[in-house]
Amino acid sequence: MIRIENLSVAFDKTEVVKNVNLDLVDGEVLGVVGESGSGKSVTALTLMGLVSESAQITSGRILFDDVVLQEAGKPRDQVLYRRYQGAQMSMIFQEPMTSLNPTQRVGHQVEEMLWLHAEHRPQGPWKQASDALRLSGRRTGQKEEFRTRVLEAFHAVGLRDEERVYTSYPHQLSGGMRQRVMIAMALILHPRLLVADEPTTALDVTVQNQIIALLRKINSKQNNAMLFITHDLNLARRLCGRIAVMKDGRVVELGETEEIFRHPRQEYTKRLIEAVPSRMKKKTWSADAVLGKAASAEAALNNSAPVVRVHDLSVFYQDGSNSLFGQKKKQCVVADASFEIYPGESLGLVGESGCGKTSLSKAILGMNRSIRGEIVSNTTRPQMVFQDPYSSLNPAKTIGWLLQEPLRAAGALDRSKVMTKADMEAAAYDMLHRVGMEDKYFHRKPSQLSGGQRQRVSIGQALITHPGLVVADEPVSALDVTIQAQIMELMRRLQQEMKLAYLFISHDINVVYQMCDRIMVMKEGRIIEVGETERLFRAPKEEYTRELLSSS
Amino acid sequence: MRMEEKHSPEKDIEWKKGTSWKKGTLWKRRISWNKYLAAGVIMTGIALTIGILGLFWTPYSTTAMSAAEKFAPPSIRHLFGTDNFGRDIFSRVMQGMGTTIGISTLVVLFSGTAGILLGAITGYFGGLLDEAVMRVTDAVNGFPSILLALVIISILGNGKHNVIISLGIVFIPSFVRIVRSEFIRLRDADYIRRARLMGVGRLRILFVHILPNIFSVFWVSVMIGFNNAILAESGMSYLGIGVQPPDASLGKMLSDAQGYLQSAPWYALAPGLAIVWIVLGFSLFSEGVRRYGE
Repeated sequence: MIRIENLSVAFDKTEVVKNVNLDLVDGEVLGVVGESGSGKSVTALTLMGLVSESAQITSGRILFDDVVLQEAGKPRDQVLYRRYQGAQMSMIFQEPMTSLNPTQRVGHQVEEMLWLHAEHRPQGPWKQASDALRLSGRRTGQKEEFRTRVLEAFHAVGLRDEERVYTSYPHQLSGGMRQRVMIAMALILHPRLLVADEPTTALDVTVQNQIIALLRKINSKQNNAMLFITHDLNLARRLCGRIAVMKDGRVVELGETEEIFRHPRQEYTKRLIEAVPSRMKKKTWSADAVLGKAASAEAALNNSAPVVRVHDLSVFYQDGSNSLFGQKKKQCVVADASFEIYPGESLGLVGESGCGKTSLSKAILGMNRSIRGEIVSNTTRPQMVFQDPYSSLNPAKTIGWLLQEPLRAAGALDRSKVMTKADMEAAAYDMLHRVGMEDKYFHRKPSQLSGGQRQRVSIGQALITHPGLVVADEPVSALDVTIQAQIMELMRRLQQEMKLAYLFISHDINVVYQMCDRIMVMKEGRIIEVGETERLFRAPKEEYTRELLSSS
Repeated sequence: MRMEEKHSPEKDIEWKKGTSWKKGTLWKRRISWNKYLAAGVIMTGIALTIGILGLFWTPYSTTAMSAAEKFAPPSIRHLFGTDNFGRDIFSRVMQGMGTTIGISTLVVLFSGTAGILLGAITGYFGGLLDEAVMRVTDAVNGFPSILLALVIISILGNGKHNVIISLGIVFIPSFVRIVRSEFIRLRDADYIRRARLMGVGRLRILFVHILPNIFSVFWVSVMIGFNNAILAESGMSYLGIGVQPPDASLGKMLSDAQGYLQSAPWYALAPGLAIVWIVLGFSLFSEGVRRYGE
């Protein structure tokens, strides 16, 4: 049905998609897997005719049912495309927060699809303009019919209480609901091709699961073709019949899903599969620890004093504290948490977004003072590694300066820790090497580093004062899988070298499994289960834990 | 997917230098900022040179009168002609430019510094002080700025120094607002949170960690403020409450020339053009800088 022949797309003379050949038949789900920058999104956008004007097709063409949609050397035919966009092929985007208009009720936004593709569209520019502005032409009997169709579509994508959703604004819906609305919008005209660009990346794992199940159901029921773009191989494996692996703009491997997983032909595919943190694999890093770890963990539990002991901790969130006349509301986001973190261990903290993970970690770090209960800390200033490597380094400073700043701060706080300039510089260089970076980065600014490198600097900055505890809030979830594996490796190595304890927050169960000795499960502000990783995966006590762990 | 991750570090550096995605715009963009920036730099450079020179040396004395050469039209001897007292207008424009630029610079320096201090503290800490300062700036903003400056002048009395003080006070709120909003934006940035976790002192966070990051925004507002200060100073001198005679000032020259518009148009033209030249040059300059920063 869809054929992409020898497609190359270039921005400013740089080719980002190179000689891509893909084809899709009705009812097929084709996964396009690759790291960021591999050209998978540009391919999809070009197919949809949504890629920006500055992109040029330098070779090849795109066919839909033997109709040439786009061809190298010819400008995009917008009129032709409008007949296909929405009606024949539609798209689901990654970010459900930004792909819906925040000022319009979602029901109207979905209905707009129907209006735009209605059969009796007004003719002539003026009429069309007034139609677009809703000045006239919409008072036909179709209104009720369209409304019913929207409600049906909502029902089909599993939105309960359709009437309420219809009149809601996007901010009144949860991320999962918004993504369902997006899917309803994409499917309401029964397109034959659905392009899903990372549709679940921004969602919680349990919600992710539901959306995947929904997409699978729709695919089998409506028999439409689907192009599923993702960086997550596991996800692609669960949904796609065939997978295309992209790297640097090229399709390096294309084949049946299971075939690719079992016998990857390319070195790159192999690496990609290996990099995916998975429970199927042995914990690669603890080959020696498999024997020693259990014993040492036990010894640690018994012998050493905890780095941090939290007792009956409740954390509150204060609303409106920034305005003069605002009512100060206190909301309890974490209730009666008690646990300990021991030296040298990684404690995983899992739960859905909004369950209080971040609030709890902030309280431990002393960033939130409206708490009740007890936090006993045996370490100096626990540090933190944030999720987004792009916002956690000061863009105005050099890497060297950033690495030395914690030392300067420590010196200013405590006279005994004052270091000479040369010592600080040496320590910064040493840390730079430890996080696996070369000297030349010392004088660079964060903007000149890649995401993975920035996260390395972030980790270095957190560790340079030798804190006993580091809180890592989703430290790898913004990174590509291969980079993810490297950063996790780095964190484990540093943990052993520096006797660190991690409080490791993540929504990715597989990452937590690979990283952590013990796991703590949170739900709605309460810690519902704590246990050794293996035990928790084998025999979870709580139903919720089982659900959470099985969801990926 | 993040667009930034598309680049390898090396590519990032290239991109920083002004390459753009769009085909063809690379060429256009480089020219466009060159045009603005080059024109701005040249015009501002000339104005500054003439102005600063004018403060120390002028071809003729700015106060020497000559009854014989009253209203001499522009010539080789007197480039811009002479005024009603036979003084050389070119020399007086030179000195006037120097005075105007000097006053405006001091005004912006004064209000900019105050704006950074107040904006940083109110924006970062918030709370009661923030509310109080913001209500005061609202009140100041409520008056037309020239009118308020007039009120302050009438309290302090005429003269150069008082012009600087009054305009300085009037200009503070605009700086406070810009600095404050930037500090509010950045106070919860991840890297500032981390600085707090490291135990970096508050003052250091304010002025070492945050301040460099607001510089590009602040720079633009300084340039706009400078232009406004030039116009305001000229306006006040025009009204006769700024620079006092016999010192030359562009605004005062304009108001003196008003009576002779028919008979000696060059008298008004010279200071008028000088004002336009400075303001235009500086606008182009700031536009060029803004575009360069983008």
